[in-house]
Amino acid sequence: MSMQAALPIAMIPGNSIIHRINPLAKLVWVVGYVVLAFSTQNIIILYSMAAFALLLAPIAGVTRPLLKGALILVPVGSSLLALQIIAPAVERPWTIVDQLGPLSLYGDGVYYGFVLLGRIVASLLLALIMVMTTHPSDLFTSFAKLKVPYTLNFMLAMTLQLIPVFQREVGIIMSAQKSRGMKGSGFSAVLPSFVPVFVGAIERVQQLSISLESRGFGSNGIKTSYRQVKGRPSDWVIGIIGVLVVAYLSTISIMRGTWSLATEITFSPLFVLVTFLVAASLFACVVLAAVLFSFKK
Amino acid sequence: MPEPIIIFDDVTYTYPGTEEPALHSISFQIEPGEYVAILGLNGAGKTTTGLCVNGVVPTMLGGELTGKVTVGGLDVADYPVREMSKLVGMVFDNPEFQMSQMSAAEEVALGLENAGVPYEEMMRIIPETLELVGLAGFEERSPLALSGGQQQRLAIAAVLAMKPQILIMDEPTSNLDPIGKQEVFDMAAKLNRERGMTVIVIEHEVEVMARYADRVIVLEAGRIVMNGTPQEIFGRVDELAALKLRVPAAAELAKVLGSEYGLWKGPAPITTEPAVKAINELLGANRG
Repeated sequence: MSMQAALPIAMIPGNSIIHRINPLAKLVWVVGYVVLAFSTQNIIILYSMAAFALLLAPIAGVTRPLLKGALILVPVGSSLLALQIIAPAVERPWTIVDQLGPLSLYGDGVYYGFVLLGRIVASLLLALIMVMTTHPSDLFTSFAKLKVPYTLNFMLAMTLQLIPVFQREVGIIMSAQKSRGMKGSGFSAVLPSFVPVFVGAIERVQQLSISLESRGFGSNGIKTSYRQVKGRPSDWVIGIIGVLVVAYLSTISIMRGTWSLATEITFSPLFVLVTFLVAASLFACVVLAAVLFSFKK
Repeated sequence: MPEPIIIFDDVTYTYPGTEEPALHSISFQIEPGEYVAILGLNGAGKTTTGLCVNGVVPTMLGGELTGKVTVGGLDVADYPVREMSKLVGMVFDNPEFQMSQMSAAEEVALGLENAGVPYEEMMRIIPETLELVGLAGFEERSPLALSGGQQQRLAIAAVLAMKPQILIMDEPTSNLDPIGKQEVFDMAAKLNRERGMTVIVIEHEVEVMARYADRVIVLEAGRIVMNGTPQEIFGRVDELAALKLRVPAAAELAKVLGSEYGLWKGPAPITTEPAVKAINELLGANRG
């Protein structure tokens, strides 16, 4: 059983240019993406960011896992768009562009819906690429260089480690309960297995802490690091370009009051209607599939 | 006569929240370079004894300790476990619970990082140690993706890399198949012989202990009931049976041959080879 497969998003080993960039330089870009995404309402910027992230995927060789990871956007994005069209999160007055039975479809919502979606898509895609191309240990080593306390760093790393362990433990306990005639799937089966998993977790953590302490964990002296993360000039250039671009675009956006193009871009009633129908039906499909799936089990 | 490296002086220890002491006035000494096996049923205090040596008892677990444990001239109760780790390496029975890193190499590196070993030296020690435990080439594998036996050996490597003077192994082979067990004990014996490492093994495998150990300490309900060479201890078949402990098959066979058939005289063999030899002679004499 592969432990790596237990995590839906994990590092995809490789040696691409993206893999070799210093984790901190990558982190600058991810944080920059989030900052820029939330300081602008300019959909051109937002979708260019998403497109740029998508361009990086084939370079890093993570296109397939990236698209797989991005599937989570389907329910989120479709519900977001559908809801924004019938109930925009912008100030009134709203302009009705079409009527679908009792539902009024608002033009303002379409633009804002796409802005929200663009923010999520752009940030998530780049973050996923970073996670998929960075060895967690390298990231934590970089954190240590930033003077993040060792214990905190260790806790973060440990959490990543323990997720697949507990996933497996839940699986084992659920099988054991199933073999004794209890319900083996669905939420009602997961719940009773939590107690043994947590008790087991406490025991594991106690044993681990003894083992770590026995290997000098928490000693006060100078610590060295097995992982050597290099900060080459190119990494600095990448990081600085990231900071500059983000600073420039977000400053303009904020100065222009979010740089919204809502008044410049108008959507035809047909477009709004189609967008709404597609988003709503997609979301309905996802919900239906989830319900069917849980019943079938 | 060298100074004993481990001295238990009338040690009584009670775990926090319990009434009954886990150890009752235990006293013994271990010389540097000795290979000591600790035997006993579950709950006899074997693990607790081991934990006393590296100071987890009492500094980490609390509880009440009277008497004194001296290791390498240091009173264990006065030093944090992380200080004792320079002297004492301890491997526990559940290897998976001792893994904390993303790769085998990092697992071995952890102790070295904490000790501040320079990078260049680490790059030398880590492959060397992994080689020693037969895990060369597994550097980048996740510890959780290793088999039980490999994890066990990795746990041992993680401790060995720190080059402790004393190695304590608490049921180190509970997850291993017979070949894996043999490998671990051979390795410990090698470290003991070639590096003069003091080895304490807490085990149920009497056959292996009879072969390797210099000394056997038998615990029962927190008390030392026997302490001597394997030859002395495993010869006392009836006493061990009364303690519900197994004895090496050779010793048991000699016992039965001696008491029920009057065919065995002299001390009982504790390993297979002398027993085979003696029985062969016995058969030869009867045939002739």
